[in-house]
Amino acid sequence: MTLITCLVRSPSRPATPGALEAVARACSPRVVPWRDEAAVFDASGLDRAIGPPARIATEVMRLSAERGLHVRVGIAGVTTTAWLLAHAQPGISIAMPGREADALAPLPLETLKVMAVGPAAPIGLRVAPDLECLEILRRWGLSTLGDLARLPRGDLHARLGPDGVRLHQVASGEDECPLAPVDEVARYRERCELEWPIDGLEPLAFVVARLCESLEVRLERADRGAVVVTTRLRLVTRTSHERTLHMPAPMREPRVLRTLILLDLESHPPEAAIDIVEIDLEVAPGNVVAGALFDLTLPSPEDLATLVARLGALMGETRIGAPVLVETFDGRTRAIKAFKATKAIDAIGTIEAIDAIRANLPMPGWSLRRLPLPIAARVCVEQGRPVRVTPAARGLPGGPVKQCAGPWRSSGAWWTLDRRTWDRDEWDVELPGGVYRLARDRATGSWSIDAIVD
Amino acid sequence: MSSLAIKRLESALHARHFDRTLLNRRAPGGRVSPTGWTPLDAALGGGWARGELSEVVGARSSGRTWLLQATLAAATRRGEVVALVDAMDRFDPRSAAAAGIDLARLLWIRGPALTAEHTRSTLLEAAVSKAVRAFDLVLRSGGFAVVALDLADIPPRIVGALPLATWMRIARVNADRDTSALLVGDAPMSRSAGGVSIRLAAVGVWTGATAQQRRLARLDLRADVVSARHGQGALQVGA
Repeated sequence: MTLITCLVRSPSRPATPGALEAVARACSPRVVPWRDEAAVFDASGLDRAIGPPARIATEVMRLSAERGLHVRVGIAGVTTTAWLLAHAQPGISIAMPGREADALAPLPLETLKVMAVGPAAPIGLRVAPDLECLEILRRWGLSTLGDLARLPRGDLHARLGPDGVRLHQVASGEDECPLAPVDEVARYRERCELEWPIDGLEPLAFVVARLCESLEVRLERADRGAVVVTTRLRLVTRTSHERTLHMPAPMREPRVLRTLILLDLESHPPEAAIDIVEIDLEVAPGNVVAGALFDLTLPSPEDLATLVARLGALMGETRIGAPVLVETFDGRTRAIKAFKATKAIDAIGTIEAIDAIRANLPMPGWSLRRLPLPIAARVCVEQGRPVRVTPAARGLPGGPVKQCAGPWRSSGAWWTLDRRTWDRDEWDVELPGGVYRLARDRATGSWSIDAIVD
Repeated sequence: MSSLAIKRLESALHARHFDRTLLNRRAPGGRVSPTGWTPLDAALGGGWARGELSEVVGARSSGRTWLLQATLAAATRRGEVVALVDAMDRFDPRSAAAAGIDLARLLWIRGPALTAEHTRSTLLEAAVSKAVRAFDLVLRSGGFAVVALDLADIPPRIVGALPLATWMRIARVNADRDTSALLVGDAPMSRSAGGVSIRLAAVGVWTGATAQQRRLARLDLRADVVSARHGQGALQVGA
């Protein structure tokens, strides 16, 4: 005999998050939780252990009361009936399997509104009755679910379409599909309430290490790795300090997690002493990588994440990464992106990409050293070409120009009418102290040393 | 008897990791990272030795950056990852791509955007100190084929203000690792820490018969190889 039980939180009493689901899972492994408001579970077989449905309902009520919950219980042979009964009536409501329609018959038509739980609802409860449809039924003179169930289904379909049929099924105590249980979501969260507030990262390190170690045990048991780590610090000022870290790969090594969390907090410290420390993980299947004899040694994701975090704390988060080529004619533009150590097996494709880049760029026998802040210079020009350069900085030697090549004119972003606009002539000049790239701003006529040829 | 004493002395030095600086010894078949410049590779026995701290020094426009980028390009073309600690934020990604570096395999650690020629000594010292710490962190992390610290264009007196044991300590960190550590600067820095020291000089080669056609074609490089391993006399390599 199929027995479906629905637990619904009393509207006037709030429930602790997850408490309803915990009660349901204590009774059955086949559970469908719905937010913190309701839970449906398959109670089939409990009748042999506990007794008739009334005894089962009483036991569920007792179990809920032990956990401080005030609930309504509905039991029926189908999910929608149990759901309707639990929502419509306080206390315990029971519809014996096969007699659901009789139990539903006296309920008012408006009861169907509780089926509107939205598209995210578990399968079997996604009825979402159209309110206009209910209004039509009311205009027909129907007032109870029994009235609706007595109508011929074919005629109802002709007038109201599939929505009308679905409502008729619900009123008749029929399910569209069987209960689809949801696996319990394992939460990887550790929390520590401190007896005395702690101020500073050094004492916090011990607390974080302990939390990470206990999380690592659970992660290893479930063969999971953390992909997102959220650290919540409750401060003595009653405010919360929250930081979220995204891992480059699933990882569970407690030493790595602890280091990453602490380095991040070092860069973004809390404003006051800490009362409560909580670490919450989002997990993914563990990253099992078998090493190969002929693979090149690359930094492991754990080592790389730690390294980047340490470097970020030292140099600044925005100063670490892989350089990228920006699609612009302004050679001064530089950009950076997150660095990932790709596998060596990608090397062939990468070499092709490099060759493509090299085909499109000049292949000089020299490289440039860009000056992030160009140095102003006074330049004497004869016959349109620089003949003498005097830099404003003492460290750079000036003097007569031995050789020069140019100008190479470039301009861009003139359509933006802001400071990104550039219009310049560039020259390569050889001075007694080296070869430099000079630039002349065509708008102002000012000269600067942009780069050193090296 | 004397050979026995020498062997004992050598083993004592080896136990304290001093053999790299005092002895003309290189492990046979030791791994190297090619420099990307064939004549220099030939002179160095294949390239920069892994597990050692080498350096490239020279004046402005002597080809230091070109040699550094050639080394990084050679490593990334083999599918390895490399790191560059850019103390003064002077790395040019376009030049690097043109030199053949796979930029996705390069960890670029940018120092503050300072102009050494303008900046006060205290700021420069702080930037150099941070860069050395970053260099140390990357070396300790491992997994990189080449890790370079670019201190070029920083006045030698600023680099010289670092504690004397800095380079020795870093050389010890990198010992027995599969990484070539490389310093780039204006003047010799770490000669006592072992490894190879390359002094570069270059002459610009300009082409074009007329002023309009003129362009800088390349730098003609000349390298003096000075190291403990080549202690008998400096080797000279020309382009």
